[in-house]
Parts: sequence; C-alpha cells; structure tokens
Amino acid sequence: MKRHLIMLLGLACMSFIYTGCTKEPLNNLSDEESRIYITDHDSSVNFTNYKTFSISDSVAVIDNGQMTKHLDGVDSAYISAVTKYMEQYGYTLVSNEQNPDVGVDVNRIISTSTGVISYGDYWGSYDSYWDPYYWGYPGYGYYVPYAYSVYQIKEGAISVDMLDLKNALQDKKINVIWTGLIRGSGIFYPTVADSQVKALFDLSPYLKTN
Amino acid sequence: MKKFKIILAAFGMICMSQSVSAQKNTFSLDLNYNYSMPLGGFKSDIISNNSPRGFMVGLMYSISDNLSVGLGFGFQDYYQKYPRALYPLGKSQEVSAVLTNSVQTTPILLQAKYYPLSATYLKPYISLGAGANIIAFNQYLGEFGSSATNVEFRAQGGLGLMIPFKKYSSSGINVGAIYDYSPYNKNGYHDLNNVNFQAGVIINLK
Repeated sequence: MKRHLIMLLGLACMSFIYTGCTKEPLNNLSDEESRIYITDHDSSVNFTNYKTFSISDSVAVIDNGQMTKHLDGVDSAYISAVTKYMEQYGYTLVSNEQNPDVGVDVNRIISTSTGVISYGDYWGSYDSYWDPYYWGYPGYGYYVPYAYSVYQIKEGAISVDMLDLKNALQDKKINVIWTGLIRGSGIFYPTVADSQVKALFDLSPYLKTN
Repeated sequence: MKKFKIILAAFGMICMSQSVSAQKNTFSLDLNYNYSMPLGGFKSDIISNNSPRGFMVGLMYSISDNLSVGLGFGFQDYYQKYPRALYPLGKSQEVSAVLTNSVQTTPILLQAKYYPLSATYLKPYISLGAGANIIAFNQYLGEFGSSATNVEFRAQGGLGLMIPFKKYSSSGINVGAIYDYSPYNKNGYHDLNNVNFQAGVIINLK
C-alpha cells in the first residue's frame, strides 16, 4: 500500500513537471520585450548627400494587401516622431513642392487573418500604396534593391520608408533607400510612438546627414 | 555513431556476463526528479541557465543482484531569455530583439545499472544508457518564434547511490549524477551536453 502511494506521488510530481512547470516563452515577455525592430538600407547610398525631406500627411494602412489612407492619433504620433528624428539626424523638413531630397512614408501593415503575408508582396504593390504621383513623379515605378525575408504576420506592424527623390529624375525610378519595421505587442498607441521610432533610428546611425 | 556502438557493445557485454548468474528476476520503477546543468556548446551558445524542471522514469528488470537493465524516459525543460541585442539578418539588415531560447528534451533510453557492492546496506551503482533524444528547440526574436523538432542520439553515464528504506529492501531512495552526451548538429549548434543531478525513489514491483 505504502509502495503504491509513493509511486502515485512520484508519478503525480512528474506529471506536474511535464504539464505545469515548463517555461512558456511568450508568457514571460513584456510588451517591450515582445517587439522587434528591423532596419535595412541600400548600402551603396551615402546618406550625407541628402539634406531635405518631406513626409506623408497620412499613413497607409495596408490590411491584407488592401490600402487605405488613414490619420488618427496613432498615425499622427508616428508621423511626428519620424519627423522629429529625421530632423535630429540633420534633415530639414520641406514641402513636396520644394523638391525634397528624400520622401518618407509611414505604413501600418495589418493582417486580420492568420495566413502568411510576405513582405515581397508588400514591395510588389508599393506603387499602388504610394502612387509616385504623390511625390511629384507620375508614371515612375519604384525600385527596391532588397527584400525582407518572409515572415508570418498575425497582427500588425509599422514600417517607415525613405525614398530617394533626389535622384529619381536621373534614375527614372524612386529607390527605397532605407526601411524600418516595428513589430510586436502594444505598438498602436500614441504614447509609445516616439520610443518605437527612436529605436529604429538608433539602429541606423548611418542615416545622419552630418 | 562510433560512441553509440561502443556504448551498446558495453551494455550488451555487461548483460551477457551477468545473465548467467542471474539471481533475482524482479521489476523496479525508478522515479527521479532531475536537475540539469548545460555544458559545452549548449551552455555557451544556446542556454546557460540550469534547469530545475525535469524528471526521469525507468522501468528496470533485475537480472542479478548486481545488474538491472531496462527502459527509461524523461523530460527536461530549458529556458533562457537574453537582453535586447542586435542581430544581423542579412548584408545590410539588422534586427534589435530580445532573444529567447527554449529547449525541451525527451530522452528514451536503454539503461543498465551495475551495483558492485550488492551485499552492503548502501548500494552504490554505475549507470549507462543510450538511445534517442527527442529535441524541441524554439527560438524567439521578441514574440516571433521558430521551432524545430528533431530526434538525435543520446548516451549517458553516471554514478549513484541507492539507500534502501530498510535492510534487505530493494526499494529505497536514489541519488545520483549523470553526464549526458547529446549531439545536436542543427543551425550551427553542435551539442546539448549536460550534467544532471537526480533524486528520487526506486520502488520494487515484485
């Protein structure tokens, strides 16, 4: 009887370890720890050659490949934060009509399904999200010299892209010279926008113009 | 593979040498809590934290007073979260992330225990084991993870002490230490070697 009790107790302890004591990684992450910041850039570009920039007046919300322009408190907070850090890196904000060297846009990429969205798809439709007309170059196409790997997206992400408008006429295309991506929990709040954008710029000291 | 063959051969030789003098034909159940400490590449490249989350169970058949053989299986959960750092993704691409590694191992092993001093009250033993190791490796950048499950070879050797509940009892308390040789040649990693400390009970099933 005692033997059976010891055995049962031992097996119960092992079942407890197996089912209850494993450390579940996602349960041990704060919102801040859950986020990742990815940057990429055209390594052939010397960013000190760019001095002025213009930023889009709204955010492209790309929801399962469908784009709508949007501007709410979150969007404004991200646009303001990007403007702030662009200026801190030495760029001067000008209007579209003043022939900016760089165009900057902000995008929300959202998937409402649990399917797979590759960022290749995102780049492939870039001119439908941001008509080159917006930047004063109607009829031009975009050229993207790199691509993100394929990711599974089950929620939202924010991307910030820098477009080379200075050389668009010469190149006959608009090169995407820098991109930053923010993914993770709790990023769609105005209060966190500044720190999220700062993280992207901290990853990219080469963007400085001086 | 060579090491696996050597261990199997040793295992077989021990069994053959003892089977002729088999005195007891009883089964016992080994139930052990397992505390594991990563070593080598496992510690330096994947997880350096010790794991207090594990167990090992063995169903052993005693073919003599000195030797028992049987089948064991276990489970161990390893986990480590590293502070935010930069990781290159490509030529010009970088990611800033909190990296989490989570490894669960489930060994299924042929085991043998040799008791050189079977007549004494305290029974020290040498243990050997070899078999399969089911490895689940989950790696997360932030909350974005990838996972892989593989079956690899695993061998182990250890020393322990069985303390009978009472004189002449073949049930008792078990304490021991085991070294695990656990190759893992995936994604640039080489091993999940570790050393384990066990404590539990050995229950004679008669």
